[in-house]
Amino acid sequence: MRGQALLLGLRIPGTSMVHRAPLWLKYLVLVAAGTAVVFLRSPTTAAALLVVGLLLYAVAGARVLAAWASPLRLLWWIFALLAAYQWWMNGPWTAFMVVGGMFAALQLARLLLLTTDQSDLIDGMAWACSPLRKVGVNPELVALAVGLMLRSIPAVLGCIADVSDAARARGLGRNPIALAGPVVVSAVAFAHQTGDALAARGILEQGLRDEAADVTPTKGVHHRL
Amino acid sequence: MISFHAAGLSVPNPDGSDDDTVILAPVSLDLRESRVAVIGANGSGKSTLLRLINGLARPSTGRVVVDGKDVARDVAAVRRRVAFLFSDPLSQLVMPLVREDVELSLKPTLKNKVRRRQVAMDHLDSMDLAHLADRSVHDLSGGERQLVALTSVLAAGQDILVADEPTTLLDLRNNILLQDTLFALDQQIIYATHDLDFAARADRVLVVEGGHIVHDGTPCEAIEHYRQLALSASREGS
Repeated sequence: MRGQALLLGLRIPGTSMVHRAPLWLKYLVLVAAGTAVVFLRSPTTAAALLVVGLLLYAVAGARVLAAWASPLRLLWWIFALLAAYQWWMNGPWTAFMVVGGMFAALQLARLLLLTTDQSDLIDGMAWACSPLRKVGVNPELVALAVGLMLRSIPAVLGCIADVSDAARARGLGRNPIALAGPVVVSAVAFAHQTGDALAARGILEQGLRDEAADVTPTKGVHHRL
Repeated sequence: MISFHAAGLSVPNPDGSDDDTVILAPVSLDLRESRVAVIGANGSGKSTLLRLINGLARPSTGRVVVDGKDVARDVAAVRRRVAFLFSDPLSQLVMPLVREDVELSLKPTLKNKVRRRQVAMDHLDSMDLAHLADRSVHDLSGGERQLVALTSVLAAGQDILVADEPTTLLDLRNNILLQDTLFALDQQIIYATHDLDFAARADRVLVVEGGHIVHDGTPCEAIEHYRQLALSASREGS
């Protein structure tokens, strides 16, 4: 699967203030922005969040700022359709409020992914899910599943792009129904591959501990030399 | 020790006929040597033989036992002892960054995040890969990716490493580097390869053809046997 599609949600390394901010603060900002979009329904709120988002991208560094427009390149038609519908039904200000607010929230969520280690996200998710331990759920497993889901979204997008390219290379059109079969097959193969990758290291079999215990590995990279 | 007791794999024929398609005919052998190579043509059953060892494939007949544990009955215990390295490292690397991928292997044994990161860096350092720690796994060269995949797999700490054509996608320099790295490890290594020089370094070589192990012996004899098989097949084809 093509690598560039993975850039949609891939962390961009950096040492900016945004990169260094604790995970809880990033989530707090994201929840506050989402709450504002839902409850303070106004074009001003949407505009303010778009500006705040853009400023945070700029603070995060040039490479992160350059990634700001990625969703527009990939998903512009969804935003255009939504905006056209809202404009037609409720007028231009509502269209801006809905689409602008949604785009601002999406951008802030992407900023979280772009500036946070996936391992930190998984640890944070495991912490957030820790109450589930009372009902027999292993929070580490839930967090790993969410992490793998995050990994699979851009991978499936890359798979769609690959299948489209392969169809065009044979002179076939972009018929979505014709592409669906190969995409589903590739997505299932990707899921199998991920399962095999975990099995290959025995990660699930070793059990992801959710108790505070450290065991220094007794075996690892052993050299004969 | 890895033991195959009449272990084989057959799958139902896609045309619905009664005869199953034999992927690997029942095989009985013990693998005690430190380095065992498996050679054979594409589709001959090499990968299936390897995948039976850590339960990525389950035998339809017989059983595979690793250090006294039946792979089919106790796959969890077996996978704690047997790691698997794929030929395509991108299939192996699960996390976006190099360091994070090694950390994932350590997660079951190290809860403390700071300690886990330190141990991951130690593993990378031991393979001279510390400078790649914060790189995306997609930004690495093929050779770097395979070495990172190997580091991640080894970080999980298993005693046995099964490698399915680990050098296939590598250029000559990285091929030699990976071979040397593998041969410097303490773990028992069972590997499939098309590279006869790589196979010649093993203590024992199995030749697989059409789902059957047709030769089992020293590298010299086995490679010569495989050459003769390939030559005969080529002449018949032409």
